[in-house]
Amino acid sequence: MDKIFRYKKVWPFQLLLLGFIVWLAQAILAQGQVDRKPVVIERPPLRFIKDPNPSFSAVAVDSDSNMLVVSDENMFRIMEYDRRESTPPRARLTEPKRIISGTNTKAEMICGVYIDPKTKEIYALNGDTQNWMPIFSTDARGNVAPNRALNIPGHPFQMAADEEKQLLYMTIQSDNKIVVYRKQASGGEKPLRTIQGNDTHLEDPHGIALDFKNKLIFVSNFGNANLRGEAGSGRYGKFDPPSITVYPMEGSGNIKPVRIIEGPKTLMNWPAHMAFHEERQELFVANDADNSIVVFRASDEGDAAPIRVIKGPKTGIKSPPGIALDAKLGELYVANMGTPSITVFPVAANGDVAPARTIRGGPAGAVGLMIGNPGAVGYDTKREQILVPN
Amino acid sequence: MHDVRYDAVHDEIVVPVPYAQAILTFRGAADGQEGPIRIIQGPKTGAIGSRLDVDPIHNEIFTYTGNTVTVYPREANGDVAPIRVIRGPDTQLKRPYGIAVDPINDILVIGLNSNFGSDEPITLEDSESLEKGAILVFNRTDSGNVKPRGVIRGPKSGIIRINQMQLYPQRKLIVGAMPGIIDNMEPDGAFLGVWSYDDNGDVPPKWKIPANDRTKLKKPFGVVLNPKNKEVIISDMRNQGVLVFSLPEIF
Repeated sequence: MDKIFRYKKVWPFQLLLLGFIVWLAQAILAQGQVDRKPVVIERPPLRFIKDPNPSFSAVAVDSDSNMLVVSDENMFRIMEYDRRESTPPRARLTEPKRIISGTNTKAEMICGVYIDPKTKEIYALNGDTQNWMPIFSTDARGNVAPNRALNIPGHPFQMAADEEKQLLYMTIQSDNKIVVYRKQASGGEKPLRTIQGNDTHLEDPHGIALDFKNKLIFVSNFGNANLRGEAGSGRYGKFDPPSITVYPMEGSGNIKPVRIIEGPKTLMNWPAHMAFHEERQELFVANDADNSIVVFRASDEGDAAPIRVIKGPKTGIKSPPGIALDAKLGELYVANMGTPSITVFPVAANGDVAPARTIRGGPAGAVGLMIGNPGAVGYDTKREQILVPN
Repeated sequence: MHDVRYDAVHDEIVVPVPYAQAILTFRGAADGQEGPIRIIQGPKTGAIGSRLDVDPIHNEIFTYTGNTVTVYPREANGDVAPIRVIRGPDTQLKRPYGIAVDPINDILVIGLNSNFGSDEPITLEDSESLEKGAILVFNRTDSGNVKPRGVIRGPKSGIIRINQMQLYPQRKLIVGAMPGIIDNMEPDGAFLGVWSYDDNGDVPPKWKIPANDRTKLKKPFGVVLNPKNKEVIISDMRNQGVLVFSLPEIF
């Protein structure tokens, strides 16, 4: 009995002691974590992989003022050239007339540019990282604040203007929609109307072009469908072929396209920026992943083959997201990300033809690394290769 | 595409495609316009987040949608539902953005985003609802409305938001990219931080590589480890590039 009594006395004490020791250890550990001074490592990197040349993502032209405006997504620049420039073969590059760039500009990964035909202001569309469309005057240069800026939805890709009605149309990739703003909108002004919904067949929309004669909107889609389930059952995805969907100019809401260009004969593969030639009734498409420009009739529908394709080693076209038309002088400008160049062709160009002019932002033969907003990085231990998603 | 993972056990590359709500798996040697060998996508699959990680030992893929962590069979192909989810008020999951799994120590780590940007007008009332990000540490097999085993959050942690993370099972370390305020082009205080699995509370990182002129870092978004060479590889948005650091201290 004495023994049991003794244990009864000792066990509670031992447990209390053990509990106290555990609590103390945890408290010391927690305090140690909070009081920790991090080891700050300020050594330079062993290696730095970065493209030294511009990566041209968008282009706009105004032949009345000889303005050629391009965006560079690699160094976050908006650059103006004289549209008549042609880089001599032995020259390293052509210097731009002015550069707008820096943390005050609200311009970072610019994927769309537009020149106002009257004021010559530059409209710049941030494709990622900044939800702004800054607008710059003709004398803006360097790290300047924009004259005004419109807060826009994230992930737009191209804009097109209706100068008569003073409207701006733009594609929004992430929400699969078209938004229409007053052209002079700024700050937090909301769009006047939106085209969006499962019936629209908008699937990762990129390019947009307007046909004022037939009152139509053309939209190029990569084919990444992001659908809303029935009765609020959430979103789900689907891969469809790339397409061009066509809507009435005054369209709004969840409307069906009036027709769709889609199918293997179209040759579309990441159809990006588009431009519409009113007089010729032709639709020009920068066919990014096919290293080509494809041209369709305005009336094309279904699995239609392009009427012309500009493609091949002589063209210098490589990963082109951007195009612009100068209908007055009959020229097509192509922004290439795969090589630091703007290539210029006659509007009727077809096949593997050399450009009429090339404006280079880097050495001849330079190949673009095409690192754009690298949100992550991977490492292939078997091949000892670094993987960079863009 | 905001994530990429190399599965060394099966020699495969796995990526999320949030615009098409899909998880794609490619051969490790895939090149050019080669198609994926498996696609997880459809109404049962639901929405897919911007980031994921692969557990090649237990054959699972971890991602998220909204404030829910979702787990899919690694070898699934087609429209499959998640086999586990973590969600609910006890989980503290809000705006998950980074995700990493350790199949050896059975740890799942989630990085949270902030709910503010530099261009948003901030009033005194707003400031009370501003939330910075955090690192939540769960058990790998957790399911349902579970409490995290650890939460790293607060001013000493330096965390505003967490992008890509990697875990180093051998030393039980969390390596995370902290790029600062979301829409600041060159934010103050961005860094790459290394914490321990056991860290909990407002804990500074054990090691940090700050963004500055010497390190050349500006806005670190992604990170991956190369233990063989004792290197940390960082993708940096504002540099539009990849920087490789020797960091034998952490290996």
